[in-house]
Amino acid sequence: MADRVLIIDDDEQLVDAYRDYLAGGGYEVDCAQELEEAQTLLAHFSYSVVITDLRLSKLGFGGLDLIKHVRENSSQTRIIVLTGYGWPELKAEASASGADAFLRKPMRLKDLGNTIAQVAGGQV
Amino acid sequence: MRKSILETILDPHELSVRFQPIFQIQDGARHVDSVEALIRGPRGTNFERADILFDYVRRKKAEAAVDQSCLTTICDAAKNLPSKLRVNVNVHASTLGRNSEFVDFFLGHVQKQSLAPERFTMELVEYAPTCNIPELTNSIGKLRSYGVRIALDDVGLGQSNYRMMLDCHPEYFKLDAYFVNGLCSDTKRRAVVESVVALAKALGSSVVAEGVTSNDDLLQLETMDVDFAQANLLCPAISLKDLLASGYLDDPAFWAPARRQTGKRNVYNLEQHREQLSLAAEQSSPA
Repeated sequence: MADRVLIIDDDEQLVDAYRDYLAGGGYEVDCAQELEEAQTLLAHFSYSVVITDLRLSKLGFGGLDLIKHVRENSSQTRIIVLTGYGWPELKAEASASGADAFLRKPMRLKDLGNTIAQVAGGQV
Repeated sequence: MRKSILETILDPHELSVRFQPIFQIQDGARHVDSVEALIRGPRGTNFERADILFDYVRRKKAEAAVDQSCLTTICDAAKNLPSKLRVNVNVHASTLGRNSEFVDFFLGHVQKQSLAPERFTMELVEYAPTCNIPELTNSIGKLRSYGVRIALDDVGLGQSNYRMMLDCHPEYFKLDAYFVNGLCSDTKRRAVVESVVALAKALGSSVVAEGVTSNDDLLQLETMDVDFAQANLLCPAISLKDLLASGYLDDPAFWAPARRQTGKRNVYNLEQHREQLSLAAEQSSPA
């Protein structure tokens, strides 16, 4: 069965690009645009990897909240954090909250695939 | 900007409805008593599944708005059902407990669709413990004055507790599948079901067993004086088209005189049911 990946980001174009790329690599991909949507999906499906931006101001919540939520509910799920701002400080905070890997935006899709492969043992 | 899931759900055209018959199970026969309308979310999304859809709705605290959207979808479909068939509709107790708007919306909407309010049973579901009971009982009183019946859903779980039984005076207790599965071989489950049946009878209510998965459990329920059963074993939730083609609604009592059909009262028959469903599926398949 394909690994299931959840992408949480407020940039629709980027989300579409990530989804198409990962789906093409054989992953089953879900996307969430808001905290409750992400929490609902996390409650009903088992994800190998969650990819989340740290700054989700358009969505009204922070990625750190989501990282803590994922970590409290699943120790198996790997968390990849994307961010384009305040890199060093946020990275330390996200790491302490339970994030497994980090990518600085903008990044190449191939880098996203490689990072997923590293944390989850999959390949794109 | 793309519509959020909530915005999508609040568009009644994005929702669909399935109907699952509720069978009277006493006297050895399986007669359809009513149908429960079951909402499905936007097609092709994770939220098509009702459990995921309503989990999300509760997290968004949007029960009242979504209950209205669901009712709109159900009434649009129910107008094509036999005019004497009773229809069960799920509504959050918190929706009825928040204000009387939903009752007015319901009454206005059924009138618009030329549906008699007394055909409806409101199945109360609740997951939050903070329901406004006085407002809830006021809403129930108003619904009852129009002939609407009340069912308490998921009895034995969550907020479907003794207080709700006393405050809401439900005509029906809907016994959750958790207590029904494996009933015939589990003395503890039988003890729970016996107590619920005794309580329901003492309060003047009927019991509907949900999620019956075996004929042995079904027979056990019958001997335990359970009045009704709703289960995939008898008939799964199906589309309006399949339900109308299934033959379950051929009972003349369901139809107004102008649409009265001839035919004997429908008695449950598994083989006949399978044939009917496969025929209905064939007819509804695209060419």
